[in-house]
Amino acid sequence: MQRIGVIGTGAIAAIHLDGWRRMPGVQLVGYYDVRSEAAERAAQRYGGRVFATLDDLFAAVDVVDICTPGVAHKENVLAATAAGKAIICEKPLARHLSDAVEMVAACERAGVPLFPAQVVRFFPMYSQVKAQIDAGAIGKPGVYRSARNGSFPRPGRDFSAPHYADFNLSGGVVLDVAVHDIDFARWCCGEVERVFARGLTFAGKEYRDHALITLRFASGAVGHIEVSWAHPRGNFRTRVEVAGDGGLIEWDSIDRPPLVYELYDDEHGFRRIGSSPTADEDEPYYAELAHFIDVLEGRAQPIVTARDGLEAVRVALAAIESMRTGKVIAMNEFVG
Amino acid sequence: MSNPSVRIGFLGIAHMHSVSYAHNLLAMSGVEVVGMWDRTDALAAEWSQRLGVARFASADALLAAGLDAVVVCSENAYHRPLVEQAAGRVQAILCEKPIATTVADAQAMIDRCADTGAKLQIAFPVRFAPSVIELKRQLDAGLLGEIYTVNCTNHGSMPGGWFIDPELAGGGAVLDHTVHVIDVLRWFWGAEVTEVYAEVGDSLLHPDLGIDDVGLLSFTLSNGVYGTLDTSWSRPPSYPIWGDVKLEILGEHGVVYGDTLHQYITVASNAAGKTRWAGYGSDMDRGLMADFVDMVRTGRAPSITGEDGLRAMQVALAAYASAKTGQPVKLSNL
Repeated sequence: MQRIGVIGTGAIAAIHLDGWRRMPGVQLVGYYDVRSEAAERAAQRYGGRVFATLDDLFAAVDVVDICTPGVAHKENVLAATAAGKAIICEKPLARHLSDAVEMVAACERAGVPLFPAQVVRFFPMYSQVKAQIDAGAIGKPGVYRSARNGSFPRPGRDFSAPHYADFNLSGGVVLDVAVHDIDFARWCCGEVERVFARGLTFAGKEYRDHALITLRFASGAVGHIEVSWAHPRGNFRTRVEVAGDGGLIEWDSIDRPPLVYELYDDEHGFRRIGSSPTADEDEPYYAELAHFIDVLEGRAQPIVTARDGLEAVRVALAAIESMRTGKVIAMNEFVG
Repeated sequence: MSNPSVRIGFLGIAHMHSVSYAHNLLAMSGVEVVGMWDRTDALAAEWSQRLGVARFASADALLAAGLDAVVVCSENAYHRPLVEQAAGRVQAILCEKPIATTVADAQAMIDRCADTGAKLQIAFPVRFAPSVIELKRQLDAGLLGEIYTVNCTNHGSMPGGWFIDPELAGGGAVLDHTVHVIDVLRWFWGAEVTEVYAEVGDSLLHPDLGIDDVGLLSFTLSNGVYGTLDTSWSRPPSYPIWGDVKLEILGEHGVVYGDTLHQYITVASNAAGKTRWAGYGSDMDRGLMADFVDMVRTGRAPSITGEDGLRAMQVALAAYASAKTGQPVKLSNL
């Protein structure tokens, strides 16, 4: 039985907590949050207790699940490492490259597992893309394309955290969102050699961020990633496409789902609603957390490592540097 | 009232678009497809027979038949000599894209047409796709407000033949598929591309192809819009359709997903050994031909000029230059 303690109880934690609560073989022990009222709300809703200090939490758990904003990951990972706890850390692994390097080194030195929550690897359509590539369905990947487009996570709306709008805290849409696609692209195509990017991050547009990122992989393949916090509210769209020398894979979230409801009432008029449900255990965040427990208990080899989390941050920061300077960034020369 | 027929000949039919252009011209009233010539005998014979168009022994013989206009659909490298040969002997020339393979060739074609009074139009049919026309109207009306960015693709299947011969084509996927989308963006906004960065892949999807089959362009326009364009021949033979022309435009009021060819039925065919998407959208080549014939009839200026062809081609050449140096390339105005 793994005893779980959660640090940071904001929006992403709610998704983790829903998973921990229904996972067999684990016990959701409690929470720490610098905003104790947020931890209290989590305890009321998901059970477990509120810890007054990190040390109190460490003393009561086996696994620490860090769900704070990225800028606070380092201090919490280093503290959990010192306490010898297995660590799950939300993405991006860190706000700054030097922090990510320090975190990974500390965990490796202490022999503490550090699982970066690169959840896209656990989304079933994405893991199917990877499985098809591994099975040789499209030959050697040559062109990778993906997109992850939504609206700005504005405070007081569907997210409560104000830090997204502060680039110094969040790193904008590239660090917060593109790390997903960068990590998945690396999984499919290998290491990134150079990065070029254009976007709105430094355009001074309030509540708008967007980037078009061009990648060259060491394999010779090329990649294109679009991420947006500038699309209209109310929709979130993701896409992935990989072309190889023997075929092509495509998926688009706009594609017709297994359930389409077409409804009419006088109040709303006509509505079309799509739904693509999965079994409880295949829900991506649940599958991700369950996988980490499986690795911890020796039942599985890790699908994603701390080094992967670090590299995703490194390439994302290089893309930001390219947007800032207008230059091509060679990864072997990029030190953050 | 009966106008005299517009007499048109084909100088070079090596580009497969010539078939669609000829079908459209043959179906048009008041147009006479007088004849055709191509440097490759077997190709010329097959094309002539298939379309029922008289075959001439030389370009000169065809031009001597008394033409109002010619359509040049040769291999890219022969655009210049054929346009130069026709200029002065016909009123109007429709030249397949890309206009040429070098800036010097394109400029020589433009200059020769200007000197002889021949009207030079470049074949950019995408401007005549109804969804692209509507999109321009919506953009002009301010639907999206301030425009931020465009994410475009002009994917295709690897065409083979002379398209993969560097001497005849002048370039692979990047030259072949940069110009359509860049022309449309220039048309939308009256803006020029000012900077290009490109990742180009040679033989990346087709081992030993010997020419670029992958291109990712990242560019900036003079109106401040930034964008990307994927020109890759990345649709394999097993894919349901040859390619796509997609324009996704993001602005302050929202986003529009343009998928120009996405009007098709799905056809599962055992004979074809795969499932295909068979298009039912309006034929953009019909609009291009009607526009060209109208220009010949009325004597008005071309709607798509040699200069338009040159500007679009320069973006592709800048992409190759960027790939060679690994750096963004600035396009200085000529």
